[in-house]
Amino acid sequence: MTATAPAAHRAATAPRGDEIVLRTRDLTKQYGKRLAVDRLNIEVRRGEIFGFLGPNGAGKTTTIRMALGLIAPTSGSVEILGGDIATHRATILPRVGALVETPALYLYMSGRDNLRAVAAVLGGVPEARMDAVLDLVGLRARARDRVKTYSLGMKQRLGVAIALLQDPDLLVLDEPANGLDPAGIVEMRDLLRRLAAEGKTVFISSHVLTEVRQICTRVAIVNLGRLVTESTVEDLVRGSGDFTVTVERAADALALVRAQPWGRGARLDGDGTLITPAPNNRGRELTRFLVDAGFVPDSLAPRAQDLEEVFLRLTDNGNGVAK
Amino acid sequence: MSATLTVSPAAASTATNPHTARPSFIGLVRGEFLKVSRQLTTWLMLLALAGVVVLPFLIALTVGNLKADIQAEPLADLYRFMGQGLTILRVFSGPVLIIVTARLIGMEYSSGTIRVLLGRGVGRIQLLAAKLLTVFLIAAAILAAGMLLEYALSLFVLRAVTGNLDALKAINGTFWADTRVYVATVAISMAVTILMAAAITVVARSLAGGLSASIAWFPADNIGLVFFILANLLTKSDFWLLVTGDLLGPNLNAMPRALLSAQAPGSATRVLEGPLVPVDGGHTLLVSAIYAAIFLAVAVVLTWRRDVKE
Ligand SMILES: Nc1ncnc2c1ncn2[C@@H]1O[C@H](COP(=O)(O)OP(=O)(O)OP(=O)(O)O)[C@@H](O)[C@H]1O
Ligand SMILES: [Mg+2]
Repeated sequence: MTATAPAAHRAATAPRGDEIVLRTRDLTKQYGKRLAVDRLNIEVRRGEIFGFLGPNGAGKTTTIRMALGLIAPTSGSVEILGGDIATHRATILPRVGALVETPALYLYMSGRDNLRAVAAVLGGVPEARMDAVLDLVGLRARARDRVKTYSLGMKQRLGVAIALLQDPDLLVLDEPANGLDPAGIVEMRDLLRRLAAEGKTVFISSHVLTEVRQICTRVAIVNLGRLVTESTVEDLVRGSGDFTVTVERAADALALVRAQPWGRGARLDGDGTLITPAPNNRGRELTRFLVDAGFVPDSLAPRAQDLEEVFLRLTDNGNGVAK
Repeated sequence: MSATLTVSPAAASTATNPHTARPSFIGLVRGEFLKVSRQLTTWLMLLALAGVVVLPFLIALTVGNLKADIQAEPLADLYRFMGQGLTILRVFSGPVLIIVTARLIGMEYSSGTIRVLLGRGVGRIQLLAAKLLTVFLIAAAILAAGMLLEYALSLFVLRAVTGNLDALKAINGTFWADTRVYVATVAISMAVTILMAAAITVVARSLAGGLSASIAWFPADNIGLVFFILANLLTKSDFWLLVTGDLLGPNLNAMPRALLSAQAPGSATRVLEGPLVPVDGGHTLLVSAIYAAIFLAVAVVLTWRRDVKE
């Protein structure tokens, strides 16, 4: 009964990081004249928690629906676990657990019967497994109640339980934090981390950037159906190469720095901290320059950008739907 | 999402191995039965149907001259029992089957659960086929149980009214042959009804839409007869009467009469109106087959081709 055994097993057969678990190739979906998804190319590797970010209407759900074979791409293809989804749905999708948009449930049935009804499709799972996933999402005590009586967050949890039911290799979650309370979000985060540690791959779409920042190893940002960037979260927020400098007489320091060829982008932020590029992008040279000029910094550090800031910049202020 | 529990199945060997798991047709059908059986209304409808089947026999018990009737013309009365019973099964199982079919198909669209099932790798046509098979099995069970109940009730009424079962001696080979034909017409009617509800619900892709439109079908084309009569009177054109020869409901109504032997009394078969032009058995069968084929084609093609946006 340990979570490490399967992880070790999988690690032996499929070293994490090499295998591409999900790949889209020029994936495109057109609704009338609107391109909901436009030549999208992304790659998700085994063991990653991959964040799929974009403003409303960016095409996240449309992409996920195509990945699950629910809607047919206008052109392009999706490969999951090495097989083309258009031709190998029946063998690939049983290994994928998914939660698309709001959890879809049989409201008149109990939580457990919902699990039964979905499990039956692949030949059923043992009761013990249902108990295990119900425990995992904290719904065991309410499993006999009709889903109609569940709160939004409880329905979301049951949706996650359904996705986990058959121990998938790839978990695709569309806005999984939807409706969860803070404790639920923390639990979800822990759960996803543990799944990833077991060698499972997690693909989540989200708007909640702090959330993404905390758990995702890599992210893709989409806007208006197009891929804007795909990179690690660190690379994304490392961004500009600016440094944050706390120094006395910051305004004078700013004037001096701006006079330098490398310092034109320097500025002061709200609380009077100097934000500036460095000569040759090196903190050491910036320090030397300031000290030589008589400005001894109290502190100097590379400036991490806010993911939110990056997101808004890359998506044109999140103006997806407006266009 | 308690942190103390393992994520993977406790005993991988006893669980379905997810790496070899495939969509299972038997599993799908079992799942559909689970969904139907958890609906309280399914059971209430079956109970009501049983009530409707029993009712005419109870009424028969109170009719004063039944005893003399049976002794004088036992075969005619047996035909009446058989015909009435099967007609009631045919007419009243209709709404039950329509509701069960429309729900089974429509709720997946309305609740969005179709994306969960298809997301597991199930084929669209596979899912539709599992649903249709489930309803066909339910229909077969209703027919079998209904006939058994009616047979038992017939014996009970004969016994109660005449004190013996002598009337059964009047039964000849033709009676049994007619009974088989009648049962076949009920089965055909049930099948076409199920396909109609399935096609309409697939088109509507919602529970409410599918249910209301398919439940309205038979009332509409039966009541529609009145409008065709009016059109005929107003325009003096027989075209309107000919059209009724191709309506589904009236053809299903006319089918038993058109197919049974001459020995069967008219009173055993006439309940609802047939078309306004005379139709023979072959015609009623052909019309039903064409409707069935169209319904099936619509359901299959739309299910197969359409994006699932639910
Ligand atoms: N069935 C449809 N018919 C027409 N257009 C559609 C359909 N579904 C989605 N779209 C369009 O495709 C685009 C992408 O929608 P999608 O649902 O994929 O966005 P999303 O990124 O999931 O947004 P959100 O964050 O709001 O969930 C939108 O412009 C939307 O209007
Ligand atoms: Mg979405």
